[in-house]
Amino acid sequence: MGESNEDIDQMFSNLLGEMDLLTQSLGVDTLPPPEPKPPRTEFNYSVGFKDLNESLNALEDQDLDALMADLVADISEAEQRTVQAQKEASLNRPPSASLEVPGFSGAASLGYGANAAATSIGQYEDDLPPPPADPILDLPLPPPPPEPLSQEEAEAQAKADKIKLALEKLKEAKVKKLVVKVHMDDNSTKSLMVDERQLARDVLDNLFEKTHCDCNVDWCLYEIYPELQIERFFEDHENVIEVLSDWTRDTENKVLFLEKEEKYAVFKNPQNFYLGNKGKKENKETNEKMNAKNKESLLEESFCGTSIIVPELEGALYLKEDGKKSWKRRYFLLRASGIYYVPKGKTKTSRDLACFIQFENVNIYYGIQCKMKYKAPTDYCFVLKHPQIQKESQYIKYLCCDDARTLSQWVTGIRIAKYGKTLYDNYQRAMARAGLASRWTNLGTANAAPPAPPSTGTTQANGQIPQAAHPMSTVLGEAQRHVELPKDQKPAPGVPRAQPLPKSSLPPPPPVRGSSDVSGSPGMPPKAKGTADGFPALPNDLLPPPPPPPPLEDDELPPPPPDFDAPPDFVPPPPPSFVSNVGSPLPPPPPPPPTFIPESAEKPPIVVKRPPVPPKRQENPGPPSGGGGEQDFMSDLMKALQKKRGNMS
Amino acid sequence: MAGMKTAMGDYIDSSWELRVFVGEEDPEAESVTLRVTGESHIGGVLLKIVEEIKRKQDWSDHAIWWEQKRQWLLQTHWTLDKYGILADARLFFGPQHRPVILRLPNRRALRLRASFSQPLFQAVAAICRLLSIRHPEEMSLLRAPEKKEKKKKEKEPEEEVYDLTKVVLAGGIAPALFRGMPAHFSDSAQTEACYHMLSRPQPPPDPLLLQRLPRPSSLLDKTHLHSRWLDSSRCLMQQGIKAGDTLWLRFKYYSFFDLDPKIDPVRLTQLYEQARWDLLLEEIDCTEEEMMVFAALQYHINKLSQSGEVDEPACTDPGLDDLDAALSNLEVKLEGSAPTDVLDSLTTIPELKDHLRIFRPRKLTLKGYRQHWVVFKETTLSYYKSQDEAPGDPIQQLNLKGCEVVPDVNVSGQKFCIKLLVPSPEGMSEIYLRCQDEQQYARWMAGCRLASKGRTMADSSYSSEVQAILAFLSLQRTGGGGSSNHPQGPDASTEGLNPYGLVAPRFQRKFKAKQLTPRILEAHQNVAQLSLSEAQLRFIQAWQSLPDFGISYVVVRFKGSRKDEILGIANNRLIRIDLAVGDVVKTWRFSNMRQWNVNWDIRQVAIEFDEHINVAFSCVSASCRIVHEYIGGYIFLSTRERARGEELDEDLFLQLTGGHEAF
Repeated sequence: MGESNEDIDQMFSNLLGEMDLLTQSLGVDTLPPPEPKPPRTEFNYSVGFKDLNESLNALEDQDLDALMADLVADISEAEQRTVQAQKEASLNRPPSASLEVPGFSGAASLGYGANAAATSIGQYEDDLPPPPADPILDLPLPPPPPEPLSQEEAEAQAKADKIKLALEKLKEAKVKKLVVKVHMDDNSTKSLMVDERQLARDVLDNLFEKTHCDCNVDWCLYEIYPELQIERFFEDHENVIEVLSDWTRDTENKVLFLEKEEKYAVFKNPQNFYLGNKGKKENKETNEKMNAKNKESLLEESFCGTSIIVPELEGALYLKEDGKKSWKRRYFLLRASGIYYVPKGKTKTSRDLACFIQFENVNIYYGIQCKMKYKAPTDYCFVLKHPQIQKESQYIKYLCCDDARTLSQWVTGIRIAKYGKTLYDNYQRAMARAGLASRWTNLGTANAAPPAPPSTGTTQANGQIPQAAHPMSTVLGEAQRHVELPKDQKPAPGVPRAQPLPKSSLPPPPPVRGSSDVSGSPGMPPKAKGTADGFPALPNDLLPPPPPPPPLEDDELPPPPPDFDAPPDFVPPPPPSFVSNVGSPLPPPPPPPPTFIPESAEKPPIVVKRPPVPPKRQENPGPPSGGGGEQDFMSDLMKALQKKRGNMS
Repeated sequence: MAGMKTAMGDYIDSSWELRVFVGEEDPEAESVTLRVTGESHIGGVLLKIVEEIKRKQDWSDHAIWWEQKRQWLLQTHWTLDKYGILADARLFFGPQHRPVILRLPNRRALRLRASFSQPLFQAVAAICRLLSIRHPEEMSLLRAPEKKEKKKKEKEPEEEVYDLTKVVLAGGIAPALFRGMPAHFSDSAQTEACYHMLSRPQPPPDPLLLQRLPRPSSLLDKTHLHSRWLDSSRCLMQQGIKAGDTLWLRFKYYSFFDLDPKIDPVRLTQLYEQARWDLLLEEIDCTEEEMMVFAALQYHINKLSQSGEVDEPACTDPGLDDLDAALSNLEVKLEGSAPTDVLDSLTTIPELKDHLRIFRPRKLTLKGYRQHWVVFKETTLSYYKSQDEAPGDPIQQLNLKGCEVVPDVNVSGQKFCIKLLVPSPEGMSEIYLRCQDEQQYARWMAGCRLASKGRTMADSSYSSEVQAILAFLSLQRTGGGGSSNHPQGPDASTEGLNPYGLVAPRFQRKFKAKQLTPRILEAHQNVAQLSLSEAQLRFIQAWQSLPDFGISYVVVRFKGSRKDEILGIANNRLIRIDLAVGDVVKTWRFSNMRQWNVNWDIRQVAIEFDEHINVAFSCVSASCRIVHEYIGGYIFLSTRERARGEELDEDLFLQLTGGHEAF
């Protein structure tokens, strides 16, 4: 309890600090108009959404801001390229931004770039120790001020510089971004903007930051093809956009964010894959245990030599015959160069083997419920197909193993053969990331959710507007979380919380329906929970210093001050006000009457905080829980804290 | 002291006459007779011998070899008594370093002076230093196989033997580089040529020769090689090697530490050569697909080494040029015009447009090839009914990224088709393009290949790809086109290359050259960008990835078993293999090994593993020394650490591999 008291004190001081900061920032904000950075987006489109609008709505503020900045920049260049841009503009979210655009010259943009860089760094320091590259952050960093450069300036520069710059620009100019909807393991979803240079690792880091999960190495991006009933995890080095661009527009495929032990099982227990199982089964027992040192040397031997060693793997598998639902048993062998089988009447010596498939052009997937769908002998199936194939086809190969262990050996073996040492490098990176995360949590308040207390202080000191604003949004998100729990499952403070709560807490699982709705946009969320929520939310926001908000946001949001004002106002008024409160960044939050739409987990209504959102997403403000709301927020806070603790421990 | 006589001429001290032959173990050799006593030191004896001979010469390398005991008398401060030498000892006063002919991993012969008096381990280390091969502990010498009658006929009588006998290496310091090679090689044109032989891959062998060379037909045959390893703890002299004998220098332990293309050119090349010969002579088996990759790499490596671009990848130059051109282009544009133009100019991509015949196989369609106007831009192929309709919508548009490109070519039949398997959401669609001639085919084929990898024809490798395709076509015309059998000799210096020299003989029997060529070319497209050392490294890696890589086979009989079995020794494990079937029966890893012992009397090796697993076997095909050395050697190699660099713990090695005092 003592601890928690301290925490609360802490939070209070933070709160105060935050308020100061905000007031300050108000002043500042108006002065320097936000300069949107001009990374040019060639085109954006979305994955997992019906249409563009929906995808945009789903975006979090920061993302939207970044996107907006891009688009605006584009417009300023008088390149009316995309319809989207116009649409966006019509949303009139950050009108100020567009206004400012004309004003910004090459120099300005440069300055801005520097600014952005500085802020982002500051954030890193303040916040999580391991700053995963936030895509949004990336964008601003490379400020390509090519166009704005006047001729004189250009001439002044050394040729070499020009060339470098131009090349960089060329690259930058082509960067394409997708709004991707990622499904969390609690059935909520989260939308984020992914640019085409980002690897799965970057996106994961991004998600870590947004969800405050434990960052362990098992987290992965996971793609599922409901139609083909196959799924697989992204390898950390894969380019996400590249994979997603193979999907068809009307696809039902989804990207998930979840933990899969299989992802790096081979590095945790290499002996299960590398030892034994050739010849007799006798080794089975010995496989289970192995001391850390031996594991290490086994890994070293297998992955650190001049060439990696692919586990020796062979055995009878069932192969689905092309275009039929019959399965044939064949003896397969895994080699570094591909999967081979023993032709009829031949031996399994190398010279007799026939090549079944090579890995260059195929990905490996798990087959789900193949027993039902294809009459497979067992449900332990894996599937090999060209990533571009999206429909059933004779070019998709289905193989079926006798048991789960064999399946995991084959899948892992194939991954090793296909990706080689990259896999190990990925693992080490993931480990480093996880290590950092855990160290940080230890250092910090032990709470994953609340950003480190000290951070607030620093932020304020900096007086960076952007930072302040960001914190807000993130905080809100967290606040929601806190709130949500109490509300939905009010009675049980000790309710076990899933570790990986999405920060923005999109749509929490069904039970939490109400809250889920809220979650969509950081701004919106609290609304659902009665007034009470509203209260706690505020404090929370202030207290826990902000996570990693993209600096851009602030700039675009013209009216930071309203936020502050809003909260107090709202307090008295019930839910709707709340919404506005959240949305506060926007000048006049015309809170649409919350419509209560129970939404399926799939499409959680995600509201963009700032822009007056389409009606769809509104939620019923009046979930029952609201009743309790009036108590002072301190008690709510306490509850939330306690819960957190419980979870942590 | 020795030699006091009475007046009668009798000796009155304890001295006696010792006869020493001068020269290498030659019974006819001249001899000198000395008067010595048991207390004479070897050093003194040596001095006397030199005095007796009365010839001016550098005797510093000479020492005394005791024939009966098969032992060098190298301890100059020891007395004859201490060595136990009596008057009847047959002693030879000869050089410690004698010329031998080394058969290198690349099968070339090299004459050099090797130490006949040091333990083989040190002798090999000295040889490797001379050849500038790092990590000599991985290498060793084998006796040459018995020569058979047949072999004499095959061998060209005047095989070139490189000679390094005159080269003297100063000190134990790593030789400095001079003109891109270790200084001691740059003395004469001859030695320079020798260095090139060592550091550059050899051209592919004559397919005919390849077919005639002995190849193991069974696991049992593979054990023969390993019975010929020399002991590393004894000197050459002790092992019956004579001056002028031929020895094989090979990588013995398949654990290649810190292989670095930059500082290991000779080592890398020799390793590549050993790997290549392993594959060509079927010492190690691989699948057809793997063989094609190996063949493609050999082709590529050979091409690069022939063209003299030893250190530089052949394609960098054009590539750099292109980049330069692009950059200067960009510069110009930057100064003059709006940046958008720059984008355009840089992103402008060459395109191919032509009339081609296209065939799309469909069910229930008998339509053959049809003429279309085809436009190939970036990675997309579009075709139209006619050129006039080109601005409009194409009949079909295919993005070739990720597609499979299969050549379907018959040069003599003038058939130049490209089969494309293009992935799409619905599956793969198949399409054939038929070109009119080689030139057209090469351009389109190269474009398709690049596109399948997501690159466009603006890529720097485009032109080299076109060239490679043309080269292969011409090859097919001369080569396998008509007669299926070996067209030309081993003349690999010409652009045309006989695919039969690149694959193991069993593939020569299985495929015609014209079948092999396109497959090799297909595999080649994946490696065409590699530089010479990268390609060699890739070859070695692919070799290492073979399941049977690095296993040395010995016939053994396990304790309690009645039949012979094979023991496979790899760098991390021992494998018990069924002799008849070739199946792996059991594997033991060195990491679980507690200790191993050799009973030299009954030639039995006993090994104890964790959890009280005990294994014992006697060695049949090779001496148990060889097995013992292999095990100890691998244990030793696993103790190497990067931090320690190249210094070698000789004592540890000998401790682990020797231990034969009882022997």
